[in-house]
Amino acid sequence: MTAPAQPGDALGPLMRAAQGGDAAAYAELLRKIAPQVRRVVMRQRAFAGIADVEDLVQDVLLSVHAVRATYDSSRPFVPWLLAIVRNRLADGARRYARTARREIQVDESDVTFFEVETNTDTAELGDADAVREAVRALPEGQRQAIELLKLKELSLKEAAEESGTSVGALKVATHRAMATLRRALAPKR
Amino acid sequence: MMNTNELIQRLSRDLAPVEPLWRPGSRAVAWLLAAAIYVVVLTALLAKSGSPLELASPRVWLPHLAAIATCLLASWAAFASVIPGHSRGPAVWAALAALVWITTVVVASQWHSDVATIVAARHEAACVAVIVLGGAPLLVAMVAMLRRGAPFTPGTTAAFAALAVGAITNIGACFWRPHAVDDVMLVWHGGAIVALVLACAVLARLVPLSLDAGLRRSP
Repeated sequence: MTAPAQPGDALGPLMRAAQGGDAAAYAELLRKIAPQVRRVVMRQRAFAGIADVEDLVQDVLLSVHAVRATYDSSRPFVPWLLAIVRNRLADGARRYARTARREIQVDESDVTFFEVETNTDTAELGDADAVREAVRALPEGQRQAIELLKLKELSLKEAAEESGTSVGALKVATHRAMATLRRALAPKR
Repeated sequence: MMNTNELIQRLSRDLAPVEPLWRPGSRAVAWLLAAAIYVVVLTALLAKSGSPLELASPRVWLPHLAAIATCLLASWAAFASVIPGHSRGPAVWAALAALVWITTVVVASQWHSDVATIVAARHEAACVAVIVLGGAPLLVAMVAMLRRGAPFTPGTTAAFAALAVGAITNIGACFWRPHAVDDVMLVWHGGAIVALVLACAVLARLVPLSLDAGLRRSP
């Protein structure tokens, strides 16, 4: 049942040494088979991107590592390796099919929505002095809520402890303060 | 994503030596010897008094001989199926042996019972328990051995493993109490083995028998 020797069967002794714990031989073996595996993967998965190909190559190398005890040094190395490659390719295809069934690919976009008002990252900054003045003009409770939650960026719990009020009261004060600020800072028509 | 060269360095760093697996045939013989001892002990412990099987008759010994051959070849096929690139020869031989075994049993059975009689033979349920429950330790032992390989086709591997277990425990189930080699025994014993094989094949696909986990061990 032993197949005739192939050029790649020079790899057999390296794997035999690796089974014995020879790290240098193992590194050499993996470095030699990686390009061969990559070629097979690229031929079989011509549509795959570079990242996907590399992912499959690494998957094969991990499998070779996990099942290296199954290599029989009296048999040729290449058929053993190709069987692993075939299996990992089939497994990768099944994984891709499963993922494709439940996921929808969307292009990354700079903005969440197309409406100009929603693109706050590109909006011009308002007048800082006007904001400071508007905050100063807020009633005491609302101003404290804004300072603790928005300027000092404390959590609701921390702000409630510092101000001595309840979380609920802080939420209400913040909501009212934001409404007041929005009105005060709205562009004059 | 990790760089492939970096992965190679990580895999080869602190590389632990591994003991190459024995050849599938040797592993099958080792498992069969242990299984045979287990079945003999189990049968002796469970044995009930009564007229033993007429072993002198080919109607009796031929199916058992075929069962032993099926057990050996099915375990060989199971162990070969976890070796990447191994030929499919063992699987073909195991399938042929199973076919011969079924044929000998069918020919040896005297078909005279109707369906109601077969279903009513509840005493055969004990044999089913011997085959399934008695075979469980053998199956666990084989799965432990198979997990050291590369189980790329867990369903097929598990089916052959279950066939090997069913074939040998069936022999114990035939000897632990007086039996007639007939259609009742064929349906109950055969049904138990078929159910065991199917259940293992399906479970191995659903649970990957954690067989596939061996391929996903991190470096």
